[in-house]
Amino acid sequence: MKKYISAVFMVMFFATIWMGCKKDSPVDEDGLLITTRAECFVSSFEMLGSDHLVTHGKSATIDTAAQTIKITVRFGTDLKKIWPRFGLAQDCKLDPKITTWVDFSDLTTQRSWTVISGNRQVKKTYKVFVTVEQ
Amino acid sequence: MTKKFFRYTTTLAAAALMFASCSDKDYAVPQPKNELQNDAIKRSIGPSLVGRAMEFAYAMALPADKGKIVSAQVEASIAGAPTTYLEHRSFFTTGGGLDSGVVIGNPSENKDNITTVTFSKDTMAATLRYYYVPAEAARGKEVSFKFTARASNGETVTYNLGPFKVANMEMKLDIPVSDAGAKYISITDMAAYNQADAPAHADKIDLVYLYRTTPASFGHALVAPAADPKYLPGITLPTGVNRNTKLMKVWQLRDQQLARDQFGVFIDDADFQQLNIGEGINYTLGLAKDYGVWVETTDGKYRAYIFVNAASNPNKTATLSIKRYTMK
Repeated sequence: MKKYISAVFMVMFFATIWMGCKKDSPVDEDGLLITTRAECFVSSFEMLGSDHLVTHGKSATIDTAAQTIKITVRFGTDLKKIWPRFGLAQDCKLDPKITTWVDFSDLTTQRSWTVISGNRQVKKTYKVFVTVEQ
Repeated sequence: MTKKFFRYTTTLAAAALMFASCSDKDYAVPQPKNELQNDAIKRSIGPSLVGRAMEFAYAMALPADKGKIVSAQVEASIAGAPTTYLEHRSFFTTGGGLDSGVVIGNPSENKDNITTVTFSKDTMAATLRYYYVPAEAARGKEVSFKFTARASNGETVTYNLGPFKVANMEMKLDIPVSDAGAKYISITDMAAYNQADAPAHADKIDLVYLYRTTPASFGHALVAPAADPKYLPGITLPTGVNRNTKLMKVWQLRDQQLARDQFGVFIDDADFQQLNIGEGINYTLGLAKDYGVWVETTDGKYRAYIFVNAASNPNKTATLSIKRYTMK
């Protein structure tokens, strides 16, 4: 019985040490995993209206070299209440975060978002150019 | 030592298992009460509205050797509209799932807040439907119901239901609008006027309905009279029609009372109270069936939800239903 108890005790002891010494995965200030990926680009972009439907007939044109997004929304779109939706390269994140409706009604001033790579080392700022279908 | 430990543990576990499995569960067939009994449920769901019936089912029964049912009545805490009635037919469900009624007495009579059916058939069990139509006096108030059945042996039973809140909001269904006809919509009147009638209601016109094919995204639209003229192409507003209504377009918010579809979604007073259109816009284009528009009138007096029941491109027409809540 003594042997049995000491065997159990030893297993638990080593299990505790093994778990205690495991290195934590790095996370950033948002609690997101920091990976080794350096890819940093926007893969897709949509603008949703107050009815949560896309406001454009054609897909946005994304230029990853010039870091621009050009999109034409339908005539009559409420540009004061738009929810932009970005598709990003794997492990990337967006700054600033999109947490509410965004006002795009000033067509002369482009809004911009910064894409940050998975390793958090590469940052690219994209400008969004909006035009309205006539 | 180890052997002993395992032997004791196994014995203990086996004893516990036997103890649990041998527990005897007593069951006795429920004995029916040998007296007049009753029960009631509310069948309709969603907000209760003035002018729209709330439906209840009232069941009553007594043993055959005790006598028969002679009357059933419902007392509402607030008198219903004259269209309130208690069915004089007892319903059962057929094998095909349909409600079938058997006449048990004379049509009900309303006296103040009491609705009564007197039985004329020898009946020992019945389920009667009760349709309470809230009158204007019940708007925004709570209403309760007291169901009562009487038997020929003098027994009486009662069942209380409620309280149920009657909503403040109002509803108007199936308002036809047309690009060439009734296109001036008044939230105040919950009606649409044509070009000839609109001037007489100019100060109450909140929206203009129109249908355009160019640009392609225009389609069916609701536009405030004060909107940019590019959203009112070809429209000559009658004198005095100039309200600047705030709007917000939504899709597939199919309130069951407006859409009369299968979806269990209801817009209630609280939705209007908490509605935040913000700055809003004064035009909504590209509407179609199942679209809806939240509305706030210029003076802030009304908030409304307009649902598009139907829209026809060739005819340039639409059918709209409105729920309206008075804010001030």
